[in-house]
Amino acid sequence: MRTPLIIAAVLVALAAVPPFLGLGLQNALVNVLIASLFALAFNLLIGQAGLLSFGHAAYFGVGAFATLHLMRIIEDGVIDFPTPLLPLAGAVAGLVVGAIAGFFATMRSGVYFALVTLAIAELFHALAPRWQGLFGGEAGLSSMRMPWGGITFGSTLQVYYLTLGWVAISIWVLWAYTRTPFGRLTLALRDNEQRVRFLGYNAHATKVIVFAVSAMFSGIAGALQATSNEVANYSLFSSHVSAQVVLYTFVGGSIVFFGPLLGAAIFTLFAYLISDLTRSWLLYQGLIFVLVMLYAPAGIGGIVQTHARHWQRLDWSRLAGPYALGGLGGGLVAAAVVFLTESLGVLFDEAYAVARRGAGGGYPPFEAFGIPWDPLSPVTWGVPLALFVVGLVLLLRARRAIAERWDAVRSAPAVPAAGPGPDARTASTQQIAG
Amino acid sequence: MRTLAAFALSTAAIAWATPTMAEPLRIGIIESLSGSQTSTGRLYAAAVQYGVDLINANGGFNGEPIEVIEYDNAGGSTGAADKFRQAVADGVHIVFQGASSAVAGQITEDVRRHNIRNPGSEVMFINVGAEAMSLTGEQCHFYHFRYATTAPMRVNALVNAMAAAGELGTRVFSINQNYSWGQDMQAAIEAAAAAGGYEVVEAVLHDVNTIQDFAPFVARINAADPDTVITGNWSNDLLLLMKAASEAGLDVRFGTTFLDQPGNIANAGDTALGHYLANNYVPAAGDPAFAEAYAAAVGHVPVFVEPPTIFAVGALGLALADVDFAGGEIDVTEIAKALEGVTYESPVGPISVRAEDHQTIRPVVVSRVARGTQYPVDDTDLGFEPVSVVAGPDAIYPVQASCEMERPD
Repeated sequence: MRTPLIIAAVLVALAAVPPFLGLGLQNALVNVLIASLFALAFNLLIGQAGLLSFGHAAYFGVGAFATLHLMRIIEDGVIDFPTPLLPLAGAVAGLVVGAIAGFFATMRSGVYFALVTLAIAELFHALAPRWQGLFGGEAGLSSMRMPWGGITFGSTLQVYYLTLGWVAISIWVLWAYTRTPFGRLTLALRDNEQRVRFLGYNAHATKVIVFAVSAMFSGIAGALQATSNEVANYSLFSSHVSAQVVLYTFVGGSIVFFGPLLGAAIFTLFAYLISDLTRSWLLYQGLIFVLVMLYAPAGIGGIVQTHARHWQRLDWSRLAGPYALGGLGGGLVAAAVVFLTESLGVLFDEAYAVARRGAGGGYPPFEAFGIPWDPLSPVTWGVPLALFVVGLVLLLRARRAIAERWDAVRSAPAVPAAGPGPDARTASTQQIAG
Repeated sequence: MRTLAAFALSTAAIAWATPTMAEPLRIGIIESLSGSQTSTGRLYAAAVQYGVDLINANGGFNGEPIEVIEYDNAGGSTGAADKFRQAVADGVHIVFQGASSAVAGQITEDVRRHNIRNPGSEVMFINVGAEAMSLTGEQCHFYHFRYATTAPMRVNALVNAMAAAGELGTRVFSINQNYSWGQDMQAAIEAAAAAGGYEVVEAVLHDVNTIQDFAPFVARINAADPDTVITGNWSNDLLLLMKAASEAGLDVRFGTTFLDQPGNIANAGDTALGHYLANNYVPAAGDPAFAEAYAAAVGHVPVFVEPPTIFAVGALGLALADVDFAGGEIDVTEIAKALEGVTYESPVGPISVRAEDHQTIRPVVVSRVARGTQYPVDDTDLGFEPVSVVAGPDAIYPVQASCEMERPD
């Protein structure tokens, strides 16, 4: 009841706001959309079917290369093909390659499945730079979006709307898929494959189909990236791409349908905003991942869902205090960690070594956050340390208070849930914020 | 009424502000500034900053200091595509990059497409280290300039200098990484055979930076009995190859192209003694004032990719001196045309742009690892001792037939 309204509001915002944004943000939003679709396609496997793939870069990359080939044919004038339908090439390629790879990968489950998918992605990664004709060597393939139907497809904004259309439709199809009987079968497969087999279903065939569908949507995501970048090269197959989508999905929360979307959006925007500010941004990204895995294993989506589910029974007058306290504590700890990381970064930089030489081997003040700091002063290190300790204490207290209040909420008699979706596993039993 | 007043006020403010605000020239560095290749990316960024500081100390350009903006491409071409668009959004006029041919391939295509779609607000790409032949071949275009050597330039210089020193011999073993750079190297080694008076006894291409043990390759080298091994390997592939060769007691000279990467000499130690290097510059060659000035500002003498980057920014500085936009809008096409005509005097010789493919005609320095040199590297007592400086016209190769450059009017 509320959900369709929220989705409609998000869609309207996504359609109406970008023309007023700068080029940089428009481009960042294109990346957010592509990453979201990729993460949701990936989550079809892990969240719905319980299959953890470590090689989804393969299908993302295959989709991108297929699209590039189509774009090159169009550019050469061999065929006339509508530019907005370019991602179809990625979908077909993803589906076909996914079906073949899935046939082998899904013969096993668990760790062995993950390893086979990893191996398949590595196969592409090793093959692509050598196969000059198909993958264009390590420089890759390059083309140009051709104008179609009076639209040039030259500006970032036009690419954005093309991406938005494809992503919105794809996500809707993915969601609708989870509501079909076959989608339910996928869920059953995750919970108990043995039972599915005894019920008379062909478990292997089912898994191959799920795998192929997931690969198809990954292919569309890759195709959208190829359409946007107009280049594809072998680095699309790297384990980094595969790892990134795992990161998105788990931080966002794989048990909630829209969770991976949250994770993808957060990390893509994080990279956009932070990567040019500090060289330690990958460290921060890793810290966020570790913290989410340790203290909110259901992911950010899980936290949101738990709150939504218990919304009517939440007494915010009692919860707001501990939440604010926790936010303050977290903020203090984060500030201390960022300060220490950035300061160490400056102190171990070669520029500081030059400054030291200039100061006759002493320790001249260093600059961080636009303020000079004395590296030998107890204030420089004492204050962040104190902030860290105070923040930690606040966090622990807030955590206890929050846990108490949530226990009260959970032990209250259950209100009938508002329509159990396919994602209605056991989010409420997963701990939130500790 | 109030909105009208505010509007009038803001219009007045803009009118008042505009004449004093000249457009600053913006340079974007799109390099790998996080992850495993950070150390090289940092060198490029530091060198560009140093070169720009020199120009800014002389009054900058267009009445404003030149701005340098760093973009982290996260090591890949996808990140680079992303950051290129960000750079365009930030109003960057000139992009510098060098660490990877794959990334350069992405950027040069991005620049080409951007310039087709946005006539009048072109962007220019100064490539300071990506050596793939295709960048000045089928991918060449007017707004790409390569201020770096390529495989044939390095190999020709290396072969000539080693032959002149009587250390080349007649049997050469070629071992390279199996991607465009290694393939370019192998082709160059085979092409130089007749002129260098040697025979390529065997040519091997191997995986890039994944091999942990080069003993099997060393056994093949041993069996082929060469006098010299020429390799374009870099990073671990060079280090491990040389170590394996020394452990097997192989008595051959190595002719290399990236032995000056920081850390290589420290890792290789005495194994590296007597091996050859062909690159853009070593501090002991030419006028030492350049190296000393850099050391005073940055803390070390220029190494590895820094010298060619500084030369490129220096050349750009000369080009900027030839154009004048009188504080108005910057026309990158004019800068590119000026850069074509510039000859930059580097400490080892003049560097100029070949108009047909925008490859620079530049000297190549061949040096040998020796003990007790003037500029020891990596805190060891080893350093690069110049053997010969091959002048630009002698090192250059013909324009590739695949380059069809369209010039702006």
